[in-house]
Amino acid sequence: MAAVLATGEDRFEGVRLLVESAAGIAPRDGDLKTVRHLRFGRPGIDRGRWSEISAMGWLGIRLPETAGGAGLGMAEYAALAGEVGAALLPEPFIEAQLALDFMGKDAPAEALSGDRLVLPAWLDAPDGLTLAGGIAEAAGGRISGRRRFVPMAAAADAFLVVSTEACWLIDAKAAGVSLEIESALDGGHTATLILDGVEAERLSAPDAKALEAAALATASALLGLMERAFAITLDYLKTRVQFGQPIGHFQALQHKAVDLEIEIGLTRAVLRDAVETFDTGDDCRRITSRAKARAADAAMLVTRQAVQFHGAIGYTDEADIGLFLRRAMVLAPRYGSAGFHRQRYASLTEGRP
Amino acid sequence: MTATVSLAAPQPHADLNPLPDADFRAAVRNWIAASYPQELRSPPKRLHAAEAMPWYRILSQQGWLAPGWPRQYGGMGLSPSKLLIMIEEMERYGCARLPDTGLTMVGPLLIAHGTDAQRAYHLPKILSGEIIWCQGYSEPDAGSDLAALRTSAVREGDQWVINGQKVWTTLGMDAQWIFVLARTDPRAAKQKGISFFLVPMDTPGVTVRSILNIDLHDEFAEVFFDDVRIPADAIVGEVNEGWTIAKNLLGFERLFLGSPKQSEGALDHLERLCHHLGKSGDYASLLNGLRMELEDHKSFYTTFADRVRRGETLGPDVSMLKINQSALYQKIADRIMDVAGELGTLAGQVPDAPTLYPGSVFLQARPTSIYGGSSEIQRNIVARQVLGLGR
Repeated sequence: MAAVLATGEDRFEGVRLLVESAAGIAPRDGDLKTVRHLRFGRPGIDRGRWSEISAMGWLGIRLPETAGGAGLGMAEYAALAGEVGAALLPEPFIEAQLALDFMGKDAPAEALSGDRLVLPAWLDAPDGLTLAGGIAEAAGGRISGRRRFVPMAAAADAFLVVSTEACWLIDAKAAGVSLEIESALDGGHTATLILDGVEAERLSAPDAKALEAAALATASALLGLMERAFAITLDYLKTRVQFGQPIGHFQALQHKAVDLEIEIGLTRAVLRDAVETFDTGDDCRRITSRAKARAADAAMLVTRQAVQFHGAIGYTDEADIGLFLRRAMVLAPRYGSAGFHRQRYASLTEGRP
Repeated sequence: MTATVSLAAPQPHADLNPLPDADFRAAVRNWIAASYPQELRSPPKRLHAAEAMPWYRILSQQGWLAPGWPRQYGGMGLSPSKLLIMIEEMERYGCARLPDTGLTMVGPLLIAHGTDAQRAYHLPKILSGEIIWCQGYSEPDAGSDLAALRTSAVREGDQWVINGQKVWTTLGMDAQWIFVLARTDPRAAKQKGISFFLVPMDTPGVTVRSILNIDLHDEFAEVFFDDVRIPADAIVGEVNEGWTIAKNLLGFERLFLGSPKQSEGALDHLERLCHHLGKSGDYASLLNGLRMELEDHKSFYTTFADRVRRGETLGPDVSMLKINQSALYQKIADRIMDVAGELGTLAGQVPDAPTLYPGSVFLQARPTSIYGGSSEIQRNIVARQVLGLGR
């Protein structure tokens, strides 16, 4: 039961069809064997599935058709991100999208076609949604500097290095590029990218709104993830028998389950409003912060309570529910933690009536 | 009068109870700093017995393995306030958790309910590290509903024959002995026909399969019993009285799991994480609030530990201690994730700060509200047996 985050009737039907078409790549009820198989490997993604994703036209979904994109909006992008989140796909769909959004009309055709995976390297702190400086450009266009927490960097063919003043496209294998890779809890990885006089193609300054889109898409991925984790947990509550009855018959568990359903409903509602605000073109930063903070906290609550409902089996690796908790732990701080977004909301609210 | 205790290097087996608390703290701190194996400091995962044995033996030689046991049985006989000091100093230094089932559960149980022969055989072997223990309680269909257990023990001549399966046996691959709850009267009411057995793991018919936990650590195991024959005197207490023994043992377990040890370690982790991020000032109020909650929990713990020291059997109210400890521990672990940002997504240690591993702390806090009786079951116990509500 995917959420359709669109209000207008025409749009609603379009998004519904898009979500339906996603089931081939990111089924809500698919088994998680391939997710498990790719865990802790390098590059950690399935290039065949990446080609399918591009063949579906998901890459550059928000770019105008003149730039080789699909010309759709945030409602469509968020819907797909939700399905990718629910399926726990390790492929960096949101990251690749962010690189394309940063590049806009400069986006190369081979990135849109999926042949060249370009990942953005923009962050220089453990938390935040703010572009950093600190990339030095020498004569001849060679760049030096550092970017941290680049998700799935070992899968990249190229990096889009982003600073406040410009973007640079670099080949992942170019001289002077080094990666310090750390395993992430969900079986993926994250890297520090170190640049030492790397040959780079300079592109125009980044559109900061691309980060808002990535934050909303991540909130949507967290929503899809928690919806599915909760559905799995409800099944368990209905089938696990202790004291001669399904444990879901116990009122203490029923009430906790209801509280999770409320959290999921709140997340869905806030996200729908945020997506709509984004698509109107208005300043969406405050509601983006609300959506991301709510989604991060709710996903952590739902997945850790899902583990609790499962009891000891929930604390094993063989139970799938733990995969959802571990992915939530990785997505919750990405594009700004709940704490970051609460602070940003406060600072954007100051002085308003 | 006892000989003077050196605070710089306290003598092995010395009685530390007469020391003022501040001197006791200094003695413990100095001794840990001088004795603790550096390579075992702040391990990101629970150590297996083989890894932890160097520290186990160092504590054994010092006579500090069993702080809560009476001195006559080889313990330290510490008062609760000194017990807390010991916990604080060990957590602050990053001392690893031991394979402690023998120390926290089997020892106190045998002291209370064992025969002289069982005490004489087992207590010294726990204190020397010769026997590491594990627990055989839960079964696949008997978790929260523990009394539904189906593992059976049948008397044949002068032996008991055990068949069945146990699960969630922590460090089951490392242990030499297991204590087992088994059904000895299948016709009796659920709780009535259960007995309590001590079983060597190398008995023919015992097999162990390790289980990976959510933090990808093979911390626990399944244990299978296939016509496992043990002598008649392997039983603790009377036949069909095992449930009473088991409940007493759960009292010890809840006291141990209710100790502030885990919360102390987690709060220390959070403080170091804030410092590492240069945000100790930003989070001063958060840290202070959690510190006050932890100190309150220590007061709560002391009231229960005092009762044990006076020789009382803990009642169902000790469940409240365990509920509060796991809730506080998980609350601190949640805040660790809030503060950590992207550092909380790493599967291992923070590269430039290897004593920090926020994601693992968070995951390791998850089962505390599940094992030893889930918080839901503990609340049922308190509601029915303390408050007199319901059935």
